[in-house]
Amino acid sequence: MSSEEPKILGFCCNWCCYGGADTAGTARMQYPPNVRVLRVMCSGRINPAMVLKAFKEGADGVFVGGCHMGDCHYDAGNYKWNRRAKFIEDLLPEFGIPKERFRFEWISASEGEKFQKTMEEFTNTIKSLGPLHRSFPKVSKKAQIAN
Amino acid sequence: MESQFLLAKAKDEEIATKGECGGAVSALFKYLLDQDLVDGVLTLTRGEDIYDGIPILVEDSKDIISTCGSLHCAPTMFGDLISKYLTDMRLAVSVKPCDAMAINELIKRHQINEDNLYKIGLNCGGAVMPISAQKMIEMFYDVDPSEVVKEEIDKGKFIIELEDGTHKSVEIDELEEKGFGRRINCQRCELKIPRNADLACGNWGAEPGWTFIEVVTEKGAKLLNDAKKGGYIEVKTPSQKAITIRGKIENAMIKLAQKYQEKYLEENYPDIENWDEYWNRCIKCYACRDACSLCFCKECDLEKEFYNDEDAIVPDPLTFQGVRMSHVCFSCVNCGQCEDVCPMEIPLAHIFHRMQKKYRDKTGFIAGVSEELPPLYSPEKE
Repeated sequence: MSSEEPKILGFCCNWCCYGGADTAGTARMQYPPNVRVLRVMCSGRINPAMVLKAFKEGADGVFVGGCHMGDCHYDAGNYKWNRRAKFIEDLLPEFGIPKERFRFEWISASEGEKFQKTMEEFTNTIKSLGPLHRSFPKVSKKAQIAN
Repeated sequence: MESQFLLAKAKDEEIATKGECGGAVSALFKYLLDQDLVDGVLTLTRGEDIYDGIPILVEDSKDIISTCGSLHCAPTMFGDLISKYLTDMRLAVSVKPCDAMAINELIKRHQINEDNLYKIGLNCGGAVMPISAQKMIEMFYDVDPSEVVKEEIDKGKFIIELEDGTHKSVEIDELEEKGFGRRINCQRCELKIPRNADLACGNWGAEPGWTFIEVVTEKGAKLLNDAKKGGYIEVKTPSQKAITIRGKIENAMIKLAQKYQEKYLEENYPDIENWDEYWNRCIKCYACRDACSLCFCKECDLEKEFYNDEDAIVPDPLTFQGVRMSHVCFSCVNCGQCEDVCPMEIPLAHIFHRMQKKYRDKTGFIAGVSEELPPLYSPEKE
């Protein structure tokens, strides 16, 4: 993949969204390879620090997928994540990261198509925003070395 | 309970003259210690000079007299003092609104036991940094700061008293326009009357020599009643006019605070380039965390290897302040301690207060005032 391609980190919950990605895969649905999927047991396990760390490490976008409301394997994990996600949307702009670079969605294990569509949409959004150039010097230096 | 208004003063002559506004607060402390209702009183006393308000724990009611009188150059916080060092004591504590807010947040997080605590609230228009008080007295009053024996804030003026009894005053608005006066976070503060304490005491609307008290909780009402029966304080009902005046002062102060919020958190708020410059100054001394009245974790996430860069001195703001903000900013009580202690003068309270305001607008949660924990702690399916 060329260095121009955006890097997207995707947190997917084990029970729904990861299953959705699997469904998309087994049905041979094409979706952009920019997303690196990281499986977590529940979207409720994700805290804002993980999203912040992803951006710090050079992600251009962060995606989080959880179960639909009412479907959480652990009863209320996705409700907790939902509150946290809204908070993250407020927090990111304070550090110069537009909230469009962060997206969360509810995708069930059977919704391979929704997973495919979401990845296409999100990758297009990130591509149109371009690579994340943070003005914080230390990071830009690091990015230079990486390139 | 429905709030109730009273005027009170100390019966003890010495306390009544040495104390502020008739010494009602000091008399209540004396009553609590004498009756063994508390083991100690946590309050402020004068240190070296009038610019040096320092916390003191009084365990003998004879010593209460040394804590009489108000101090405005005292940007202190009591919340973490209690949760870190005094949890085994039954305490009475004199709280300005931000103290009461911090204590409430700590109570909700089980770091302080509310049953052990009498919160005697003091109305607060804002505190002044000791350094800036001395500078402005030199510049605007043309007086040597060491000659000042007493300071007072009244009717929008910062008033100083000299050794020979003369008074000099300057409008606070004028001082603040030039960058002096109250601390910036105090200028933005909307809670002037601590209705989150048991009692809210102050001079707004009071007659000379009396303290105006708003009784907020049952506990506060009982304390006042018992202290009256015990002969420690004298109580009377304020006139309707006095109540109106107090309300007017409060409203004017709140309006001014909202104006300053607009000014500091919107109009003149630093942009991203400024923030990058600020974050670049960070020397990662952790003073902001240590001074924070809300941070109480024994093992701090910020010290985990996970967030550390091997070769970097300046921490990445995302995983330093960002992580700290993701832990506490929705509960920020705008006490300004982080900003006060920062050796690199990063305007931290600005960004924390701005985030709590955003969170308040979205969820209705007001840090330090709402009775519940922030919705982020909720297990509910909503």
